[in-house]
Amino acid sequence: MTTPTLSGQAAGAAALLRGGPLGLLARKRDQLLVLVVLLAIWQGLSILLGEYWIGTPWGTVRRLVSGIADGELLQHASYTVAEAIIGFLVGGIPAAALPFVLRRLPMVTAIIDPIMVGGYGSPKLALAPLFILWFGIGIESKIALIVFTVFFIVYFSTLAGIRALDPKLVQMAQMSGASESDIARHIIFPGAVPHIFAGLRIAMPYSIGAAVVAELISANRGLGYMIQLRSMNFDTTGIFVALAAVCFIVAVANWIVNIVERHLLLWRPPADVTAQKE
Amino acid sequence: MTTAEQAATLPAEPDGIKWRHVMVRVGQIGLGLVFLWLWKWGANSAGESYIADPFKVWDRLIEIARTGELARHTYVTLRISAIGFAIGCAAGVVLPFALRRMPRLTDAIEPYIMASVGVPKYALIPLFILWFGINDAPKLWLIGLLVFYPVFISVFAGIRSVDGRLLDIARVLGASESRISVEVIWHAMLPFFFSGLKISVPRAVSAAIIAEFLVGFEGIGFYIENARQQMDVTGAFVGIAVAIALVLVMNALLVWIDKRLSAWRPMDRHMEL
Amino acid sequence: MAALLEVRNLSKRFASRAGREPSPWIIRDLSFSVADGEFLTIVGPSGGGKTTLLNMIAQIDTASGGEIVFQSKSAPLGDKTSLKPGLNCQIGYVTQEDNLLPWRTCLENVLFPLMAQGRLNDETRAHAQSLIRAVGLEGWEKHYPHELSGGMRKRTSLIRTLVYDPPVILMDEPFGAVDAQTRVQLQEDLLRLWNLGRKTIVFVTHDITEAIALADRTLVLTRQPSSVAGEHIITIPRPRDIRDILTHPEFVDLYRRIRAQVQ
Repeated sequence: MTTPTLSGQAAGAAALLRGGPLGLLARKRDQLLVLVVLLAIWQGLSILLGEYWIGTPWGTVRRLVSGIADGELLQHASYTVAEAIIGFLVGGIPAAALPFVLRRLPMVTAIIDPIMVGGYGSPKLALAPLFILWFGIGIESKIALIVFTVFFIVYFSTLAGIRALDPKLVQMAQMSGASESDIARHIIFPGAVPHIFAGLRIAMPYSIGAAVVAELISANRGLGYMIQLRSMNFDTTGIFVALAAVCFIVAVANWIVNIVERHLLLWRPPADVTAQKE
Repeated sequence: MTTAEQAATLPAEPDGIKWRHVMVRVGQIGLGLVFLWLWKWGANSAGESYIADPFKVWDRLIEIARTGELARHTYVTLRISAIGFAIGCAAGVVLPFALRRMPRLTDAIEPYIMASVGVPKYALIPLFILWFGINDAPKLWLIGLLVFYPVFISVFAGIRSVDGRLLDIARVLGASESRISVEVIWHAMLPFFFSGLKISVPRAVSAAIIAEFLVGFEGIGFYIENARQQMDVTGAFVGIAVAIALVLVMNALLVWIDKRLSAWRPMDRHMEL
Repeated sequence: MAALLEVRNLSKRFASRAGREPSPWIIRDLSFSVADGEFLTIVGPSGGGKTTLLNMIAQIDTASGGEIVFQSKSAPLGDKTSLKPGLNCQIGYVTQEDNLLPWRTCLENVLFPLMAQGRLNDETRAHAQSLIRAVGLEGWEKHYPHELSGGMRKRTSLIRTLVYDPPVILMDEPFGAVDAQTRVQLQEDLLRLWNLGRKTIVFVTHDITEAIALADRTLVLTRQPSSVAGEHIITIPRPRDIRDILTHPEFVDLYRRIRAQVQ
């Protein structure tokens, strides 16, 4: 079967987040200790190998502040964020809508299935040179790449959501006199929302990653371009700053998806914290 | 058979199933032809400096297959993918097994591992090139990292998923701790491990290709990027087609192996979608 | 008959988590003994700590107080790490769920304890085969658990324990989740196998009929915290016909007396 699996990853993340036998305070203390050790290793390495190879933690923070202050970092970051958002929407919305349209057309779904499976599995980033060739080194080529990356992920997770729906719920609705559009709006859509969000959650870092990769290959603005330029100047501290900005954007985007999801999914029972086996 | 086909054929009677099957096949072939025609039409109207002619792409493919260029670049890409994969995969399997006995350390490093999952690994390539030079090392780091995370997360989840009762009973039946690791945990973890592999094997090949865009003088990725820089659109198309084919073959291979290895699992495997 | 297994003043409550009171007593001062070759059944209300009791005897759960003596030797009870699950393969345990290893076939599951204990040879293999035949599983050896019916899985799980011949076997409502017809068959299978070897069995159930039909002696437990409410010697002669046991005059009397004690 060539159907893609990503749910395992989400489950894994959830498993990682589950608490251990330790008290909360003790765990926080251990975590802080690890942070200190990591920073010490970073500092130690930069002293050992020289700032030329590994910028110091403090130097990185200073550059970060000055980069924000003079607006350079924000300018590049906003460019990358704009690409990611536009690509995310242009790719994600049709991908979430298409399975609803195809729900009543099983034949069409079956006919386009090989294309979808192939598109899902194919290395989208390898298309970057082609998009640069077609759309130039500006924002359009990045958006095209992100659209491709996001589309298949969201399509398959939405499709999975529609398929996972209990047919008994649909029968119940039919028997109580609901029309097809009622069923789509009140049964199928709410049931599929968690799956759509699972797809969006997976697609989101990919869209930012794709923007950065396309910028690395060929661009004149954006965080990826910034990383590439600074690596040519052997400016490791500068690269760290740009990387930190990328990570920050991913974290914020994740946070936003979480907030929106929580608001849309208030009806769901809380996550399976109680489902732990004795 | 894909789930879409199952969904399409389920409600019909035996006769209808056959008929629908034929129709779907015909539709797929038709769609392929339309796609080819669109490609040809696009090449003609947009110009071959934008869209390569499908027949010329085919000719070029045959040509580089004959000269051995195709085999050489494919070998280079697959070799680096395999080595990088082996490194990342080994780390991704060994670490969760080691952490199994150390809950305190697991709790302490867990938030950092989860945070580092979100780092776009591709953005690290320039740094790796800077640190390790223009050779295989930056590629291996990239591939290793990209493979490590899905394997680590899935194996970790697999180990946590093991039913505690099953462990107790295995102990009552006289199994030693090492036998339990080998027998119970390993088996229970395998499906998770495979879901990790399904993500990471194609990823390793893609990562090798992307890394070759940016560093190196050989490999499929180099071939694509080199063609683009020389405005050889046909070459870029050929390279991309080979790259896609390579990854899709990897996918198909994994699905096949998974099916053969997990005969013991109940048939509700469509759940994994 | 000498006592093979003795439970003395056994008590159990779950440990406190940070900032919470420890749980109420689940088992309090529970004492009984089992003679060699005896079939003991234990009945009690649902959720009465019967599984916890067996877990403690099987050494997969700790006790909060008391003592478990096996063959005149005290078994460790204190903390989780000093426990020896199954007490070096001397105590077998057939659990409520079958707990078969899903990646092993029926036969491979039966052979698992022999392999784990390093006792897999032609003789033990033949023994396993004869047990498979005895419970009517021949032809299903190569099937995976998910391909077997509920009753077949129960039988597999039963003979997986019988195959390595532990002196004591604990059974925790092993026939709970099957239909009435299969249940009677499984009970008959169990009695037949027991008649061949006369192992010591501690069988927990909440079904009074089952408790009487199988046992030499029945213990009745109280509600939480569990302790012994009463003891009944089952004098119905063996071999017994389980399908006709309901009509046995002694049965009716026993059933009434036990029923009165199970609140």
